[in-house]
Amino acid sequence: MTSTEGFKRQGDHTYIAHFADSEKEVLLNLCEQIIELLAERRDHGHEDPLAAMVGITSHDSPPDDEVLHRLLPNAYTDQVDASEFRRYTESTLRQKKQAHAMSMRIHLKSSDDGDVDLDHDNANAWLGGINDIRLALGVRLKVENNSHEELELLSPDDPLRGVYAVYTWLGWLQETLLAALIDDFDEDEESALSNG
Amino acid sequence: MVKTADKIEEEIRAIFSADTPWVTIVWDDPVNLQTYVTYVFMELFSYSKTRATELMLQVHNDGKAIVSTGSREEMEHDVARLHEYGLWATLQRGDQL
Repeated sequence: MTSTEGFKRQGDHTYIAHFADSEKEVLLNLCEQIIELLAERRDHGHEDPLAAMVGITSHDSPPDDEVLHRLLPNAYTDQVDASEFRRYTESTLRQKKQAHAMSMRIHLKSSDDGDVDLDHDNANAWLGGINDIRLALGVRLKVENNSHEELELLSPDDPLRGVYAVYTWLGWLQETLLAALIDDFDEDEESALSNG
Repeated sequence: MVKTADKIEEEIRAIFSADTPWVTIVWDDPVNLQTYVTYVFMELFSYSKTRATELMLQVHNDGKAIVSTGSREEMEHDVARLHEYGLWATLQRGDQL
């Protein structure tokens, strides 16, 4: 599915990519799934509206769903501390993750020709958004237990084969954006050295 | 990349001498790309590429690394930002390592 060249840097701190219609569709679909999954967690919280206004949720235990658990992990190994922290912070984390996926969706939806043009902050949102999708797919693929060699050898009629293809494509896409971003750091470090 | 006991002790002493007994730990994760982890360390903590790469390799080889130290509030903030970017992070007291 790699018909594009991924992300490239254009001028100062601008990152561009072109997506084929099929790629756009896959990305939009995945973003919507992440947004929906996070929204379900919110809806099942039965949050006290007043508490919700200041970011306190009724969730004090990690999600049962494995994907949500990976997206919203515990901050402490100690269960009591983890619960307390989650009550005060989980809704903010959910909102930030939704914002990343929504940023990707807005850019893709507003692009008729498949061209996407990101500034530094948008690029970070995309990196985080792509990463959340990879984390979600990684849980489904059980990458903890299955090596890449095993996943490469999935039979053509295995439904996970398509999931793995998207997972590796997103890894490649993320690498191209990272290469463009880290390019900036190299230049900044070089100019800092030459100025010092 | 194997750490000697002396090196670990030295790090723990450094944590206490600075009177900042909390640490943020990032754990190894099979999904996050090495370049991504390095970039997140550079972006969130303003670490140099060299320092960020060292920490990423420590996570990869040792299974975890201390990426920042400070007050409990500061470490909670760091963990929240790392979670925003999908890294698997926890905080704890430095004397409970």
